[in-house]
Amino acid sequence: MRSVLQKLARQLVLVPLVAVASYFLMAMLPLTTESEAKRQVSPELAASYRRDLGIGEPLGFLRPWQKLWRGERLGTSAQGVTGDELARKLSGSVGVGLLALPLALTWALGFAMVRTRWRRGRWAALGDVVPALAFGTPVFIPALLLAPSVVERGNMLPELCAALVTSIWPGIFLGTLVGDALETELSRDYVRTALGKGLAPGTVLRRHVLPNVLPALLDAIGPVATALLAGSFAAERVLGLPYFGQLYVLAVLNKQVAVVVVATTTFASLLVVVSLAVELTRYAVDPRSREARA
Amino acid sequence: MNRVPARACFGLLLLVGLGVLSLVAGRLFPEVLASTCPLGEDPMRPDRTVCELAFGGLWVSLAVGLCAGGLSTLIGLIVAAVARLVGGAWEQALLRGVDAVFALPDVLVVMVLQLAGQSLADAGHSGGLGPFGLMVASLALVGWAGPARMFRNRLATLEGQEFVAAARALGGGGVHVLRVHLWPALRPFALAVFLSRLPTAILTESTVSFFGIARMEPMSLGRYLGTSYAALIYEGGARVVLPAWALLVLLVLGASLASQALSASPRKAS
Repeated sequence: MRSVLQKLARQLVLVPLVAVASYFLMAMLPLTTESEAKRQVSPELAASYRRDLGIGEPLGFLRPWQKLWRGERLGTSAQGVTGDELARKLSGSVGVGLLALPLALTWALGFAMVRTRWRRGRWAALGDVVPALAFGTPVFIPALLLAPSVVERGNMLPELCAALVTSIWPGIFLGTLVGDALETELSRDYVRTALGKGLAPGTVLRRHVLPNVLPALLDAIGPVATALLAGSFAAERVLGLPYFGQLYVLAVLNKQVAVVVVATTTFASLLVVVSLAVELTRYAVDPRSREARA
Repeated sequence: MNRVPARACFGLLLLVGLGVLSLVAGRLFPEVLASTCPLGEDPMRPDRTVCELAFGGLWVSLAVGLCAGGLSTLIGLIVAAVARLVGGAWEQALLRGVDAVFALPDVLVVMVLQLAGQSLADAGHSGGLGPFGLMVASLALVGWAGPARMFRNRLATLEGQEFVAAARALGGGGVHVLRVHLWPALRPFALAVFLSRLPTAILTESTVSFFGIARMEPMSLGRYLGTSYAALIYEGGARVVLPAWALLVLLVLGASLASQALSASPRKAS
């Protein structure tokens, strides 16, 4: 358990680091100039943004968080955000991500099985082409192709489509990993011994092989969670979902610096939570991780 | 020296072929492409054909990927070399920093860096970086952590070999061993790492440009798709999306195949 806590502490350090780094980066930006360049914000708006950041105040970097805590709005009334709205938008994105996770696992299982079958036949090359195809397709392309028939229908269909398009690449990535790990484990001596002693293949798979494949799956969950959350940004934008990804992109486009600071830190915190969940799951299901740390 | 695997050759050929095609069709003879394009005009820009914009975008995306991939590989290599040279607690501290950067999603950080860079550029403090340079710098600042981890691990493995121990026993210093003995063994791996960064950089750039945050001119594939957004949804979207998508996939396929094949069977040091 000590090792899990150490890992958690290392991850937790990331949150204040991101908060401070993003704050000072945003605080030093020249948001407006006298030349009134096309994409500059007006001096009044820039002054309002700077007030949100608490520049020049003692402990100014806590100012955006204080405002959110008090229920005040960060940024302008049209495009800013309150603490409640931020939580709602974040829960929307997390909901899409949670919807995408089982879809990704389904893709993974399907692809792992098909790839194992392909490997022995003339379709072996497809085992390499499909991952490249999935990786080479940015989330916004399938989202764009689906958008015309989905956007205006509502009834959670845009959310479902966002989860579907977001899950493709992480699912294929997981499938490749699981397929490789499965094949490695199936060729080991202990599997032959178990089969030789008369255990049914299904039982060998469930009782002996899958517990050894699980750590490889857990190792990949972190990057997959990052990919799912980052992918949901593009899907939300194309499918018109007013969640966290949309908020973030609009905040960057409109130079809402305080919202950018808060949203970036929130995203980093979410990644830490995912990492903690993965570590706890690993601790619970992988006896080797407990023994190595004892 | 082992032969280069067939998959790597195919991937490299695909990459070079696309590069030459985009240079010839998109930059040198765009008028030939415009007059022979079977996909017709772009719905948002009636003066340009879909082929012109797609191949022009391919050239820009490829150039961004090559520059950003090269720069992030170089930074990763330098960080890994420094970490191995200083060793001990400093190396561990450096690796923690690398892990912290690696944990952040590329798209998010590139968006923030683009916002910062563009605000500085608008205020006249761009430091000579145009949109292209700004995008390359943003992608390199985000993408060096993965290569640094990989190079550090490979260096640690190589340093455990007997020829390195022998060189050290004969009085070879850290920099000398790194330059003369380790670098030749690391070169094929560095190429594989560079090729693995190439599609990541291209895809990240495409996504950020698609959001309309990057101001790439001439347009990259992502910006092309992003600026054709409305037309894509309401009229003949597939005609615009599919060529750009196909080029993007072929580019990534070439880089992925070459990178996987090279990293799976690294050649022996000469």
